[in-house]
Amino acid sequence: MHSTGLPTSLRLEKVESYAIGALVSLGIFSGILLAMGFSPLLSFEAILYGAFGSVFSATETFIRVSPLLLGALAFLVAFKSRFFNIGVEGQLYIGALTAYLAASQLGGLPGLLAVPLVAFAAFAGGVAWLAIPLLMRIKLEVNEVFSTLVMNFVAVLVISWLTTGPIKDPIAVNPQTARIPESTWLPVLIPGTRFHLGVFAAILSSFLISGILYRTVLGYEIRAVGLNPRAAKHGGVSVARSLASVGLLSGGLAGLAGMIEITGTSHLLAQGFSPGFGYQGIGVAALGGFHPIGALSASILFAILSIGGEAMQRGAGVPIEVIYILQATVVLSVLIVQRWISLRR
Amino acid sequence: MADIVTSIISASLPLATPILFSAVGEVYNERAGVMNLGIEGIMAVTALASVWVTFSTGSYALGFLAAIVVGIAVALVHSFACVTIGINQLIAGLMIFSLAEGIADFGYRTVSAVVPPTVEPLQALNLFGLGEVPLIGPLFDQNALVYLAFALALVMGFVLYRTTWGLGVRGAGEAPQACDAAGINVNLVRHLCVLIGGLMAGLGGAAMTLGYLGIYQGGIVAGRGWIAIVVVIFARWSPYRAILGSWMFGLGFSVASNLIGSGVGIPYYVLLALPYVLALFVILVVHRGTKPPSALTVPFRRR
Repeated sequence: MHSTGLPTSLRLEKVESYAIGALVSLGIFSGILLAMGFSPLLSFEAILYGAFGSVFSATETFIRVSPLLLGALAFLVAFKSRFFNIGVEGQLYIGALTAYLAASQLGGLPGLLAVPLVAFAAFAGGVAWLAIPLLMRIKLEVNEVFSTLVMNFVAVLVISWLTTGPIKDPIAVNPQTARIPESTWLPVLIPGTRFHLGVFAAILSSFLISGILYRTVLGYEIRAVGLNPRAAKHGGVSVARSLASVGLLSGGLAGLAGMIEITGTSHLLAQGFSPGFGYQGIGVAALGGFHPIGALSASILFAILSIGGEAMQRGAGVPIEVIYILQATVVLSVLIVQRWISLRR
Repeated sequence: MADIVTSIISASLPLATPILFSAVGEVYNERAGVMNLGIEGIMAVTALASVWVTFSTGSYALGFLAAIVVGIAVALVHSFACVTIGINQLIAGLMIFSLAEGIADFGYRTVSAVVPPTVEPLQALNLFGLGEVPLIGPLFDQNALVYLAFALALVMGFVLYRTTWGLGVRGAGEAPQACDAAGINVNLVRHLCVLIGGLMAGLGGAAMTLGYLGIYQGGIVAGRGWIAIVVVIFARWSPYRAILGSWMFGLGFSVASNLIGSGVGIPYYVLLALPYVLALFVILVVHRGTKPPSALTVPFRRR
């Protein structure tokens, strides 16, 4: 059995679409750079060097994979049952908050106990934030696209309020909390870098989610609801129950993405710490063909572009925003070419 | 007290204007069967384009033209992706959002590295000399864009409900196959409506910078594009009711900024969250009896 469930011709079509999509978006990217007076070749060199130029930068690239990948997984599990969770960004922020709150209380515990408890808190935080739109959808049939989205703004502002007031580190200049106790940090795996356990956890989750979606009854039901809710219902699947499980997974993964940023990377909660991981995750999921393993590859690409792009901004002075433009055009052109090829056949 | 009420109402109109432009445009979009979640990004990039062109040429007319052209250009990408090709409209819209937002921020960095563009916001026009009338006076002492937004909403409502073309728009989103059988080019109607949506979001962007801010900065749109889409639901896809919905949010923003200015004990960021909590509440309350156009987000192919 194909784990993707796609016939071979479709897969070939995917390869073609990725190649054409990459060419188109690189063309647009180079065009913008040339128009702004930057050299595309030098910019590429700066991106690649920034992402892989040293052991440290390579580990930073993989550290960036984890929030992007978890964000993408959060979006795509829900997407599989046609639940559009555009609120990953907000759930990530709230997960980071609950992780911070738990971690700041659990300093007395050994790490082996504290870290799982913090993870549980983050998972619960993400789920709680998604629970409102999810319940509105299940109980009242309120479309989730807008409720999840609007709650992103509320979440970001809640964190802004807390990090500038109630939980702000009084001696810090920037709007941020104090550091969390060291026992709650995710263990660093490569000394001298920030490469932490969270990276493996994220990569592992993509295989785990793939297993759940394609090898379990729950996953089968989730996909059945997404493909045809009415047929699934007649087949004996409880739509409400599978939406609830999807919500649990989706919100929880988003919360974990927030936790990994706090306990793995920054060790504190700062205002506006996410540059839009939740939104970028949607692009990652789409580029990865809404498949967990596809999302893994796509998140590596996005991470290379982000970390490389930051280095390019520092070194060559090319604004990082050009990377966001590139990421969006890559996703759009791949989706367009994919669809175009399948229409012609 | 009367002064505060007057100033809140007076400030609510320019704040409602960008939302109203974008919401009415999105009504056309969605009535024709295409959802555009990229409005927020289009507003950002057109807000920048208008202020930058006006700053460099000294002409407000050219600033508006730039906003319209840029809005249509971005919408063209969306209509190509969603109407010609037919990819998932929600994903496409979110990518349009990132794309346009990226272009806006990239453009701003590049432009402001030389001189950050600033313009004098449009002067208020005292309509019919009613500006001095107590209480309702402020309603008639606004800049031209405020009047344009309200007038356009009325005109576009009339076109949608009272003309053959408007019937075609509604048909394209409600019963595309039937429209096709009746000889209407469904996808042409959809293309045009997406472009109208882009044009209107462009006016929305310009209404922020040229209307009252006078400058562009990263993040100034601050969710108004998303709120416009919520207004469309509130308005149950009617341009007329969009006036009411936009004004409600205009009032929300106005009350929030008045409270911030007045120094009440509520934290700044909590006040900023008010309009979004209002939006969530709106979605929750009005969902009963709302039915989106039947073919919304469904691509049309001739059988």
